[in-house]
Amino acid sequence: MGNLLKDKVALVTGGTRGIGRAIVFDLVQNGAKVLFTYLQSDESAGIILDEIKELKGEAEAIKADVRLYDDAKRVVEETLSKFGRLDILVNNAGIVKDKALMLMDPADWAEVINTNLTGYFNMSKASIVTMMKAKQGVIVNISSVAGVVGTARQVNYSSAKAGIIGLTKSLAKEVGPYGIRVNAVAPGYIETDMTKDLKQKDDFIKKIPFGRFGKPEEVANVVSFLASDDAKYITGQVVKVDGGLAI
Amino acid sequence: MGAWRYERGDLMSAMITDNIDKVIRAIVAEILEIEEDKITPDANFVGELGMDSMMALEILASLEKKYKIKIPEEYLTKVTSLQDTINIVKKIVEKD
Repeated sequence: MGNLLKDKVALVTGGTRGIGRAIVFDLVQNGAKVLFTYLQSDESAGIILDEIKELKGEAEAIKADVRLYDDAKRVVEETLSKFGRLDILVNNAGIVKDKALMLMDPADWAEVINTNLTGYFNMSKASIVTMMKAKQGVIVNISSVAGVVGTARQVNYSSAKAGIIGLTKSLAKEVGPYGIRVNAVAPGYIETDMTKDLKQKDDFIKKIPFGRFGKPEEVANVVSFLASDDAKYITGQVVKVDGGLAI
Repeated sequence: MGAWRYERGDLMSAMITDNIDKVIRAIVAEILEIEEDKITPDANFVGELGMDSMMALEILASLEKKYKIKIPEEYLTKVTSLQDTINIVKKIVEKD
């Protein structure tokens, strides 16, 4: 177990799959105690908790819907009650509903904005007073290259992910005086459930200088770095982890 | 013996209450960076005394530390005058 995040308590949303799952494990392996949220699979959450126990790490899972502010509050209260503190918030929970704009229903738009952007607002708001009182804290928001340069057929997703960048920069300026850092990570194409059914994967790969999709662990490493004191003079930044896709 | 304990509890409560407006006035003056005599019981913190949301949080955090209480976040918007603040603290102290 590493020492990079020793004695820190982290809260991760959407921790049972993909990038979120990799983030949970990376934080644990760097010494942090982690509470993660999930929406669907109790079983997956249980399996992860067992694996973390094997690693001699400490974690808890809580079923919660980040779209609801009351759930966000409940999750923060549970973190404080179980672990006594909150040092790191990783906003990660996100969905896609890809469609060309002409075919995109208002519901497709609203659901992606609600989970991906409003969810981050809810969790940030629920955590911020605790961090401000402690005069320390770190928030890492998972954005996307879609939010930086836009991707076709993802008007909803690109808008939410770009919104996250605005949220990150604004909040960084607002709470910097309280010793709280807020940064974003913008992954490119990463091997997860979200990209496994992409058609014409080879076309995407042609656009990536590294010639491959990224691994969730390669994003998680950057999140742990940004959450740690090694990044203590970094705030308001967007770090792309995309194999050169959006240079 | 039971009656004595009841009186002592009352006395402690009274001591806290007597001091409370002086202590809170001093805390507010320090955080808002204004003279204590400008802080009348009903002067509006935001409209008249220049308080912003960060200062409201600092006031609540100082009171939590001073009186060893926990003030729920919902009260951030209720810290609007000296009298309101005193009432909030009394309410929470008495609950404990």
